[in-house]
Amino acid sequence: MGENTFLVLPVLMPVLAGGLLLAVQKHLRSRRALLGYFLTFLILHGGLTILLGIWCLTEGEYRYLQLWQLMDGVSIALHTDRLSLLFALFMAAVWTLAGIFAVGYMRKEEREGTFYAWYLMAGGVLTGLDLSANMVTLYLFYEMMSLSTLPLVLHTLKKEAIMAGLKYLFYSAGGAFAGLFGIIYLFGKGILCDFSPDRTQNIQAAAQSDPVFYVVIFLMILGFGVKAGMFPFHGWLPTAHPVAPAPASAVLSGVITKAGVLAIVRLIYFVVGAEVIKGTWVQYAWLILALITVFMGSMMAYREPLMKKRFAYSTVSQLAYIMAGLSLLNFYGLAGALSHVVFHSLIKNALFAVAGAIICQTGKTKVSELRGIGKEMPVTIWCFTLAALGLIGIPPFAGFISKWYLAAGALQAEIGVLRWIAPAVLLLSALLTAGYLLPITIHGFLPGKAYDYGSLKKREPSLWMVLPIVILTAGIAYFGIWPGGLMELLTAIGKSIL
Amino acid sequence: MQGNILLGLTVGWPFAAALLCYLTGRFSKRMRNYAADLSILLELLLFASLAVQVWQGETVTFEAAGICSLGICFVLDGFRALFGLLSAFLWLMSALMSNEYMKHERNRNRYYMFLLFTLGATMGVFLSADLYTTFIFFEIMSFTSYVWVAQNETPQALDAASTYLGIAVVGGLILLMGLFMLHHLLGTLRIDELYEAGKKAWTEDSGQIYTAGALILLGFGAKAGMFPLHVWMPKAHTVSPAPASVLLSGILTKAGLFGILSVSCNIFRYDPWWGTAVLLLGMVTMTLGAVLAVFAVNLKRTLACSSMSQIGFVLIGLGMAGLLGEENQLAVRGIVLHMMNHSLFKLVLFLAAGVVFMNLEELELNQIRGFGRRKPFLQLAFLSGALGIGGIPLFSGYVSKTLLHESIVEYIHEGGTVLGSTGFTSFVELLFLFCGGLTVAYMIKLYHALFRNRHPVRQKEFEEQYRNYANPMTKLTLLLSGAVIPVLGILPGVTMERIADSTGTFFAVHPLEHEIAYFSFVNLKGAVISVAVGCLVYFLFIKKTVMVREAPGCYGYKNLWPVWLDLEKKVYVPALTKWLPSVCAGIFRIPDRLVDFIILTLKETLYRPLRLQTESEEAARISRAERIRGRMESHKWMTISLSFGFLMCCIGIVIMVLCVL
Repeated sequence: MGENTFLVLPVLMPVLAGGLLLAVQKHLRSRRALLGYFLTFLILHGGLTILLGIWCLTEGEYRYLQLWQLMDGVSIALHTDRLSLLFALFMAAVWTLAGIFAVGYMRKEEREGTFYAWYLMAGGVLTGLDLSANMVTLYLFYEMMSLSTLPLVLHTLKKEAIMAGLKYLFYSAGGAFAGLFGIIYLFGKGILCDFSPDRTQNIQAAAQSDPVFYVVIFLMILGFGVKAGMFPFHGWLPTAHPVAPAPASAVLSGVITKAGVLAIVRLIYFVVGAEVIKGTWVQYAWLILALITVFMGSMMAYREPLMKKRFAYSTVSQLAYIMAGLSLLNFYGLAGALSHVVFHSLIKNALFAVAGAIICQTGKTKVSELRGIGKEMPVTIWCFTLAALGLIGIPPFAGFISKWYLAAGALQAEIGVLRWIAPAVLLLSALLTAGYLLPITIHGFLPGKAYDYGSLKKREPSLWMVLPIVILTAGIAYFGIWPGGLMELLTAIGKSIL
Repeated sequence: MQGNILLGLTVGWPFAAALLCYLTGRFSKRMRNYAADLSILLELLLFASLAVQVWQGETVTFEAAGICSLGICFVLDGFRALFGLLSAFLWLMSALMSNEYMKHERNRNRYYMFLLFTLGATMGVFLSADLYTTFIFFEIMSFTSYVWVAQNETPQALDAASTYLGIAVVGGLILLMGLFMLHHLLGTLRIDELYEAGKKAWTEDSGQIYTAGALILLGFGAKAGMFPLHVWMPKAHTVSPAPASVLLSGILTKAGLFGILSVSCNIFRYDPWWGTAVLLLGMVTMTLGAVLAVFAVNLKRTLACSSMSQIGFVLIGLGMAGLLGEENQLAVRGIVLHMMNHSLFKLVLFLAAGVVFMNLEELELNQIRGFGRRKPFLQLAFLSGALGIGGIPLFSGYVSKTLLHESIVEYIHEGGTVLGSTGFTSFVELLFLFCGGLTVAYMIKLYHALFRNRHPVRQKEFEEQYRNYANPMTKLTLLLSGAVIPVLGILPGVTMERIADSTGTFFAVHPLEHEIAYFSFVNLKGAVISVAVGCLVYFLFIKKTVMVREAPGCYGYKNLWPVWLDLEKKVYVPALTKWLPSVCAGIFRIPDRLVDFIILTLKETLYRPLRLQTESEEAARISRAERIRGRMESHKWMTISLSFGFLMCCIGIVIMVLCVL
């Protein structure tokens, strides 16, 4: 215990606050009180996490807090290292911004209080996930996250929403069970699944003695890959996103999916070790699945008329960029993947927020209906455009940096002909990304000569919605132009585990 | 940040000025116009002050490490100074012209903002010291200039703009792939280090370097209007506002060429295979552009196709520079001067076209024929550009074309071979002269259409009502841009030679040993042949087929170019937007639904819920539905059941973990 107890605060506080809100929301008379409560704890959560980050980065980054000893060597514990700080910080930032957006968006929705309550809880659980110190803790928080975000998906309680929610739950739980199975298998081999920097050396022995080892690792990748939308288990994304309220889809796509990425990074780079699976069939299978997903996601997005569903497929494709980067198992791949985690999180949040703003202000859900939207909501669509350029990977916006690293990683990796195919697939997907995002901007800002300027109404959404979008966009531009700080952090992470 | 901050400012200032102009434009249109003109003038002066330093022998560099990860760096040498100055000058002329040209257009704030953005980006391209920086600004330039093409928002403009953007994105991605490979192979993208780094890599894997080079060539070539990604040129130039066409054709194509040059003068220095490839592409581009221009019946389309053709001339020079090896001084000088000249010609020609469009809102030759009669000022300006581009002695185009021609002649004298045969080299020369002739022919066509032909109905109106066809500002731009060409052409030794000398370091070319007597018989012969060919083509072909005599002194124009012969409409667009997506989407729909399908199948077969036996099915259905509805209305069930499920799940997991462990 001692000063490390502070670790538990950003985890526990929002969960308790959310639980309390569920209990007392009936007694909160005015919306003002509800918002006051929600925003206080939301910002408190974000602030605490950032404080934790600053504290750890200045006073020594590695901290460990054991919560509960299950048995010898297995405990529920939190810790901080650079990776967990990276995830905790960007997730907290994005989570807070999306929460502020939710305040603007949920105004017209029913059961606002319930949404906020679960939103707070899920935020706390996510921080717990980021800070978890071993696979068991990670698994615990992983399941809790699936459960606590479920109410966000089925918030509207329409039939499709409930069906989509169930689909989400079953996919996630199924995937997580594959993970759990793997954890138990590894434990049986005497591998404790701690994320401490000094790894136990049973892995090599286990890998060499037992051919099942690789199957298990692959299953775990697939299992956690469900959350990260990796083919073949990406089906929940395009179902769940369109029915969820926009802030929920924003965080679902921008933050929750990254939990799967975190789990895989922890598994491969911290528990198993990159060199163990380098050059094995696991790496190839993983990379090929990721590349298929990249192309498939973009292709489906290109053909998809529904805006939010299009973005959901885009998420599938972009997450597979990250997966492809991770599967390269070298520094550049890892750096590209982790930077894309941050960038994609910012970008996709911005995109979904814009979609939400459009739906909220005009009720239009199809891409083809958006002619002239840029004239109605110029600030929002400008932000959309910049975010879209970022996603395509046009310099100087953020996506370009990660793409450069990913391609460099692919070219350096010793993976035969795939080293040429991988960057080509990434670029082809970028072309498709341009194809499915830019028409919105083009038709939005250039409605054509016949456009009736007389009936033009300014429909810029309220500041609650615009502000988070603008901040996210500013982040995309900032990280695109000055990625130095982030890259230093990633270099440090890479050095410690590769 | 290191180095001369002013150099960084030349790139940064236009971006800042763009936002300033936009904000000014929200309050006053007039002030905005002045602000835009002034900020470009400032840019020109700023750049000129730096260029003077360079000419005095200093090196000016600027480096901002860490920007966009790898850092951006700029350097100013003679070649970059020339094109930076040229850009700033053309931009100034274009902005001055815009004041009148854009008077009645919508969305002018947008236009000016993107005009300035693109200036900054173009400066960034021309000043870049490494290809990474080039790429960053090249992409910005592609995207910001898109807005010019779409500016009018007519269906044609939007269509052309889509083509432009499509080619820009495709070209950009191809280029990026090339840069990935190059960076991987050489470990550096600094332009001045490429040669040394390339030496090492050549011995290891030449195939990959060629692949990377080909991708880069294609990527930059897309912007330069090089075949096969030239399709945007005729369309985009035709629909964009004339001041923007000036820049698209005059500067942006040169930015593409700059990229090609920076690769070919370093990694592929003196490489004959590279030279051959560029030469062949140049020949196709040159011929195709010239033929398209001969058939075109639209003023700006003719000029656009002509741009393509002239880029082909430059590429031929570049090919020759590769083939000639160390003796490539003539070719290199020809490249630089022809690039510069072409910018100046297209400036004055597109400005003249802009004057026509500003008055008539028409560009089809049939509608505008005879407009220029009794407008001597316009005629002089146009003539200066037309004679220049036609390569007539005493105009600057003659000098650069002669140099390019001489380089081919030199190669023939050396007994050089292209594709293994000396005959092919002679064929290159013939084609070069022939396309020079076509240039003369289509310029005669345009000149005749504007200044000699008569409109069957509106001729009187043209001559009387449009007496004040341009305001003094526009006339000043015409005068300034038109006067440069003969000045350069009459005094090549004083002007153009020096310009060419100052650019030598970029090309790593040896200094020229002997003076070139431009007005000697040998050199004049080439021009005479071209003019003769041009007159023949005009009188025997264009006048007989493309033009139709309607009345004495009055000719109409008909579009003979077959509509179906359109590479873009026939191949690129369907391939990219129809065939490929529908095939791929069809294929990928299967994996997309795979798991869902399996689950559904299982649900319908193995895991089908048992029906209750005791109640009748109907009753069961109703009561179930009612129960659910009752719960739904209370709104409580979700939270209660979920919290409960949540709790149970946690307990279950904990117990399970405990048991297992």
